[in-house]
Amino acid sequence: MKEPLVKIRDLSKLYPTGGGGFLALSELDLDIPAGAFMALVGPSGSGKTTLLNIIGTLDSQTGGEIEVLGHKVDTLDARQSAALRAEKIGFIFQSYNLLPVYNVYENVELPLLLLKMDKAERHEAVMQALKWVGITDKMKSRPNQLSGGEGQRVSIARAMVKRPKLVLADEPTANLDTENSVNILDTMLQINEETGTTFIFATHDQKVIDYMKRVVTLIDGKKAKDDLKTGN
Amino acid sequence: MILKLAIRNIFGNGWRSLVNILILSIVLIGMVWMNGVLEGWERTARRQMQDWEFGAGHYEHTAFDKYDSFTWDKSFAEIPAEVQSLVEEGKAVPILISAGVIYPQGRLTPITIKGIPHDQSILEIPTKYLRVEDSAGIILPAVIGKHMARSTHLNEGDILTMRWKDIHGAYNAYDILIAKIMAAPVPTVDYSQVWVDFSQLNKAKALQNSATQIILKDRSGFTSIVKDFRYISIDESMENIDAMIDVKRLSGYMIFALLLFLAMIAIFDTQILAIFKRRREIGTLIALGMTKRQIVKLFTVEGCLYTLFAIFASSILGMPLFIYFGVSGYKVPQEMSNLSVAGTAEPIMCYYSPTMLAYTVILVMLATAIASWLPTYRIARMKATDALLGKV
Repeated sequence: MKEPLVKIRDLSKLYPTGGGGFLALSELDLDIPAGAFMALVGPSGSGKTTLLNIIGTLDSQTGGEIEVLGHKVDTLDARQSAALRAEKIGFIFQSYNLLPVYNVYENVELPLLLLKMDKAERHEAVMQALKWVGITDKMKSRPNQLSGGEGQRVSIARAMVKRPKLVLADEPTANLDTENSVNILDTMLQINEETGTTFIFATHDQKVIDYMKRVVTLIDGKKAKDDLKTGN
Repeated sequence: MILKLAIRNIFGNGWRSLVNILILSIVLIGMVWMNGVLEGWERTARRQMQDWEFGAGHYEHTAFDKYDSFTWDKSFAEIPAEVQSLVEEGKAVPILISAGVIYPQGRLTPITIKGIPHDQSILEIPTKYLRVEDSAGIILPAVIGKHMARSTHLNEGDILTMRWKDIHGAYNAYDILIAKIMAAPVPTVDYSQVWVDFSQLNKAKALQNSATQIILKDRSGFTSIVKDFRYISIDESMENIDAMIDVKRLSGYMIFALLLFLAMIAIFDTQILAIFKRRREIGTLIALGMTKRQIVKLFTVEGCLYTLFAIFASSILGMPLFIYFGVSGYKVPQEMSNLSVAGTAEPIMCYYSPTMLAYTVILVMLATAIASWLPTYRIARMKATDALLGKV
């Protein structure tokens, strides 16, 4: 049987606080196969973002095991986890996190600069990513000249430009209106189907949930439900 | 990659970057200009002292102490044979030094009498005026400097009495004629000095062909051992001037250290502010695959690039100033030109040596690198997940 892209066993995360600590994740088991288009849902404080950060190697667990793309997260040093993120993981953030002093083209090009890709290859990949999200006409604009929907499209292009195996999206539609949210989700679903890239969302937006092929519900850091949907 | 990102960030930062670059440029221009003046002063002083006082180096009687006039009655010896030939060939000029007294307007004024051959051409002293036309005459032509003339109220054509002691201890006197008042830029050939003919002074001191100093035209005349005399190089002669220039340089550095400190505060502050304002950006860069070490490097390189841009800006903004003071010179204020220091009587041509430019730039670069690097310790402590949320 094919190994899952993300394998989680008995995962826990304890944040130290004054009163003994806050358990953000507890006894969590989860397998995410390659090509998934799924959401982690649940109320605020349920551990969605924490889990996403651990999968993205930005944080580490305090108990249990997690394997991402064949790598045990807690055994990676800073350089190795940075390399894993640079090569294979894309991030999409709620507030886009575009670098304000770079224009759209430069923002999308940034992950490729980190991979030391040559200029011609970079240009081709950036243009392809901008075409995917339909924003080639804005490539000279600065982030502050973009609408919310355009900003998030650039963020998707930046996540996709290096053709990652895994894209982690934390509340990607939270700052968008319905029309823009639907457009963004359509774009991501299309990329998922065309490229087989795995998308994991952390959300409590029903519009997003409706698009998902699988929805894992977290409550108080534990898996409460795991729904595999069909018919999308 | 880091360099490319750093350049993008600096250009992207707009006017904030411009202010930092401008402040650094002003500091750099100021430092280079100040050092240019001091180097120009040193060169001018050296040239003037070579032209007017010490040639390419000189021999000095071993007993001579310029600060102790009591030694002067013993500080002479017959010109040694190995140097005499140089004197005859015009490659060396002897000077006999004696203490003496003059009576301008009847007032007693202690002086230094210096005897120099009237036909010499090594020093710029206008010695042709010292030629005694009538050897039977009792009036000795003398040359003095303009500061000496001012302080003693003497004018060309004035005749006054000069007294000295010969080698037997007998006092003697001559009437001297102020044949020329020279504009000497070197105070040590002017202040309290009366120049007369070498052979006349020898005769008056009951000496024969004796000298206190022997000035060399060039280094080819250097002989390592000369009886009764020691060799003093031009560098040794310059020691006092160099020490004074160093003091000036130090006080200048204090001002520029203060300016540099302000510039560094500006950069430090910009970096601190940038780290605070750009924490979400830092988190994003980590998420995109940069290590904290790379981000620290990025911020440090950004800070250092300010210096490079400042060097570029300084070379453009400062060039007219540098050229002006290099060609027209810096006119030394009256108060300073009255100091008994060589090199201040005429405008100082600023000189910008590659060594001086290199150490000025390296100093500023080092200071900038430290000011840029210090605030980055905050990045090393930053948690990526907090940074992404905009927390420090």
